[in-house]
Amino acid sequence: MLARARIVVERRGARTVVRELRSQPPLTLLPQRGAVASRSPAATVHMLSSATTPLGGDDVGLEVVVGPGAHLVLTGVAATLALPGQGTSGPSRLVVRLTVGDGAAVQYLPEPTVVTRRADHRGELHAELGAGARLRCREVLVAGRTAEPSGRYLGLTRVVDTATGRPLLVQEQELGDPTLHASGAHLAGRRVLGTEVLVWGEDPPTGLAGEWWSLSPLAGRGSLATAVGTDAVTAGRGLAHAIAGHPGWAATTLTSAAP
Amino acid sequence: MASLAALTLADARFPGGGHVHSGGVEEAAARGLITGVPDLGSFLSGRLRTTGLVGAAFAAAAVVAAARPDAGWAVLDGELDARTPAAAQRDASRAQGRAALRAARLSWPSPVLDALCAVTPRPHHALLVGAVVGIDGGSPAEAARCLAYLAVSGPASAAVRLLGLDPLAVNAAIVALRPALDAVVAQAAQAAALSPDRLPAPGAPVLDLMAQAHVHHHREQVRLFVS
Repeated sequence: MLARARIVVERRGARTVVRELRSQPPLTLLPQRGAVASRSPAATVHMLSSATTPLGGDDVGLEVVVGPGAHLVLTGVAATLALPGQGTSGPSRLVVRLTVGDGAAVQYLPEPTVVTRRADHRGELHAELGAGARLRCREVLVAGRTAEPSGRYLGLTRVVDTATGRPLLVQEQELGDPTLHASGAHLAGRRVLGTEVLVWGEDPPTGLAGEWWSLSPLAGRGSLATAVGTDAVTAGRGLAHAIAGHPGWAATTLTSAAP
Repeated sequence: MASLAALTLADARFPGGGHVHSGGVEEAAARGLITGVPDLGSFLSGRLRTTGLVGAAFAAAAVVAAARPDAGWAVLDGELDARTPAAAQRDASRAQGRAALRAARLSWPSPVLDALCAVTPRPHHALLVGAVVGIDGGSPAEAARCLAYLAVSGPASAAVRLLGLDPLAVNAAIVALRPALDAVVAQAAQAAALSPDRLPAPGAPVLDLMAQAHVHHHREQVRLFVS
């Protein structure tokens, strides 16, 4: 399937409104409405799989433009299963582009991606941040369903500060090679890899680490949380521990928890 | 024809301070991830294909940059920083780069090193190695091989000291990495002429999180190596 989705949000007064929303199967975008949504300064949009995806050969693109000062939360609804296509369909591909304006914020929080046996999936996430823009991007990769060997996955994340032109984070992740997974340098035999990029105000002065998670300040601005685990719950808990130690993020969650 | 610079920089006796870094082996051994030669071989192979490839590609790109009138060190430095998310690993890379720079300026004085130093007095090790190999007339592949080899030889030597492994068996484990080493060097040399934003960036998740944990253990408990 070839599909393109696009969402544009902008700030109006104290609120964020969706100005443009276009999507087609297999990726459907559904804005949250109702009383809760109308009280929140951020706009929330759910990402739904409206057909089985990604299948080998799928080519899905998501373009997100967050206007200056606006705040968008993009959340997944269910885990994604990457599956092989029929015959020689080639790899499936998901390319996400986030353009975040000056003083704007975006949270991109898809649910875990499970790379099933014989799948061949490629993911790209490009984020361009304006002056003072904030970003939170989570990625949880699961190497195969329970007791299943992993399919192939190659992912690239590139976060750039457009004000300075400086790259903040460039990272590729690879799944599907049992030799690499087993290595104590890569996954040390764990099945699940979670990462979360936080460019969200103050970064910790030095890194933090637990047994299977860490939070490290990046060289420019921003921090990267990394966690591995034997299942998605454990890796998710590792990420939660890590970002709880991020001063900029902790300050935001404390403020928004207040009535 | 081998570059003398590449040989010198890869020599364990080169006074560049490489011996104080274990490349994650000390933390991995403390966690029981490395107990013998087979685990070490697997660890080194993963390290080579991730961090090793990043270093090799930037060393190769630095050889190409060193030959240009405007090397663009700041861009390479920024791209390598962005590919090294663990602060502890950036520190280790820059500490080694700075130590090697002191030795290199005496052995291979050149305006190329002055230009690199003007961008940062603590250059990343891979960029320093590439610059020196380039000054010496070496090729991108030679610089990549030097970096890729160092990515495994230093940690292997640390494992011998930490776990009392048989040095002969460890040496054989390094030599057994030859196919992976050749593949990394070929990939790095091929990437050398690319625009810096397109250089490889494979992640090493457990290496990253262990690097951070090692810093805490290094402060709180007795540890032999800085990284």
